[in-house]
Amino acid sequence: MENLTDLETRPDCAVIALNGVTREYSGRAGVVRALEDASFSIVAGEWVAITGPSGSGKSTLVNLIGCLDRPTRGELFIDGVNTASLSPTELDRFRADKVGFIFQQFHLIPYLSALENVMLAQYFHSMTDEKEARAALERVGLGHRAEHLPSELSGGEQQRVCIARALINHPPILLADEPTGNLDAANQKIVAELLQNLHAQGHTIVMVTHDPEMAALAQRRIALSHGKVFCHPVSGPVVSLRK
Amino acid sequence: MSRMSMSAILFRSLIHRRARCLSALIALTVSAAVATALLTLYADLDSKLHREFRSFGANIVITAADTSKGLPADALTQVHAAAGADAQAAEFAYAVATTDRGTPVVVAGTDFDAVKKLNSSWQADAWPAGSEAANAALLGQRAAQFVADEHNVQLTFSGHPITLHGVGRLHTGGDEDSRIYLPLAALTAWTGAAPSVIEVQVPGDARKIEATIARLQQVMPSTKVEPVRQLVEGESRIVDKTHALMYGAVLLIALTVAVSVLATLSASVLERRRDFALMKALGGSQTTLMLLFLLEALTLALGGVVAGYVLGSAAALAISQLNFHTATLPRLGVLPLVLLLNLVIATLASFFPVRVLRGLEPAALLKGE
Repeated sequence: MENLTDLETRPDCAVIALNGVTREYSGRAGVVRALEDASFSIVAGEWVAITGPSGSGKSTLVNLIGCLDRPTRGELFIDGVNTASLSPTELDRFRADKVGFIFQQFHLIPYLSALENVMLAQYFHSMTDEKEARAALERVGLGHRAEHLPSELSGGEQQRVCIARALINHPPILLADEPTGNLDAANQKIVAELLQNLHAQGHTIVMVTHDPEMAALAQRRIALSHGKVFCHPVSGPVVSLRK
Repeated sequence: MSRMSMSAILFRSLIHRRARCLSALIALTVSAAVATALLTLYADLDSKLHREFRSFGANIVITAADTSKGLPADALTQVHAAAGADAQAAEFAYAVATTDRGTPVVVAGTDFDAVKKLNSSWQADAWPAGSEAANAALLGQRAAQFVADEHNVQLTFSGHPITLHGVGRLHTGGDEDSRIYLPLAALTAWTGAAPSVIEVQVPGDARKIEATIARLQQVMPSTKVEPVRQLVEGESRIVDKTHALMYGAVLLIALTVAVSVLATLSASVLERRRDFALMKALGGSQTTLMLLFLLEALTLALGGVVAGYVLGSAAALAISQLNFHTATLPRLGVLPLVLLLNLVIATLASFFPVRVLRGLEPAALLKGE
């Protein structure tokens, strides 16, 4: 097993690398700096928790890592590509390839079944494959609920469909925004175990959370305050690497 | 259809939001139905109105240029040849006779069959027909009061008496009510008066009537051919105004429907901002999402055209039967215009929602902000 600190000094291993990233928004009140001069990297196979109070810049950071936004200044490399150099269309394509989203509110399309919700990610990525989508649902323990609509699933089940959807295109990064924020304790445990399994299988997980228990599962914590990254202590070794 | 395709997403989305979609579909059906009904009636309007105007009688009057010479002997034949097969014409000869009560009255000789066709609005108790027609008389309702016996009409012209068989009264509301009509041959034999006026009814608009007048004047230079100005100009004005009214109605309804559809589609996008944001987060391009939305609007527009065409054609048929007493059959020719109208409405109504779509920020929306 390699030590994370060692890996951080090897840019070729970084699946996410920020170099002086600043994101500013112009509004009526003038320019608001949501993220300021952030520099850090996340290596392949790492599980990182992003924490911080409301308004600290977590969402901005997630938008940037999720390729939903681009930095005002600085460089952001995802899987070796500077996202600032991509056009909006290229960024859409890139996002579908590189990032699997897990949302706090699940965000399943209400009129599509669990299976179709998973296939929707395939549809926007490349081509649909029903067999593979069923396998993804089985992987999260929902093979028997494939034809059910989201309204017929519990919160925990909906989150597992969301995880299956995030995994279906084999993205190098899983971006989980408060993945257990809307779940009861039992379902929280199921989802936490699922994320642990995915990490054990080598997935890179970037997780925004307020929950100290969930944050403790990550190897590293990146804390944000007033748009600044102020600490990222290493809490453990990288379990495995995908590359 | 593949299990997951744009059409599958579209179909499921429409079914899922059926109340909202139904509201847009009804609005688009109304616009298509109104457009179909008005355009179907519009296409048939000229002939319908011209037919209505024909009941008002002649729109051309031919008299001798030199009143002392009278009309040429073959004038009616020339009129029929020059005015066309669809024209109606009747010749009239006039004299002033005295009734058995000693009242002077205008007597007019004519061909009853031709007059009946020419003036369909004339109301007669009975029209002379068969063998009795040679000696029959039709009494204007005022003229009838000047004779002692309406069935046995006794008249005198320059000392020459004649007894006619009165078949009924005539009601026109005009000068005809003061006249007594009898067969032209009988009048000519009795008074020696020759036809001095030919009334002609030409179907068509003012241009066609003017052209017919020019033709008639050319073939009968010794006559004076004049339009019944009030009727010709009135008909033209009414037809033009009716056209403008129908265009205006279609435009007004299209605008009303566009506002209604705009509201429905805007609400539809605002309701589903998160769904669209999710699709964007999953890699859906701006173009794909807009295409998905526009396809939805256009599907509703097409559905509206199908339902609206059927309803509009039925409405046109009913309106036509009610007002013109003839059926206006569905016209496939109006379909492209109705389709175009609905597509324009749907596209215009999509502008604002598409702007909303373009401005979607998935991160904020999916975060619940």
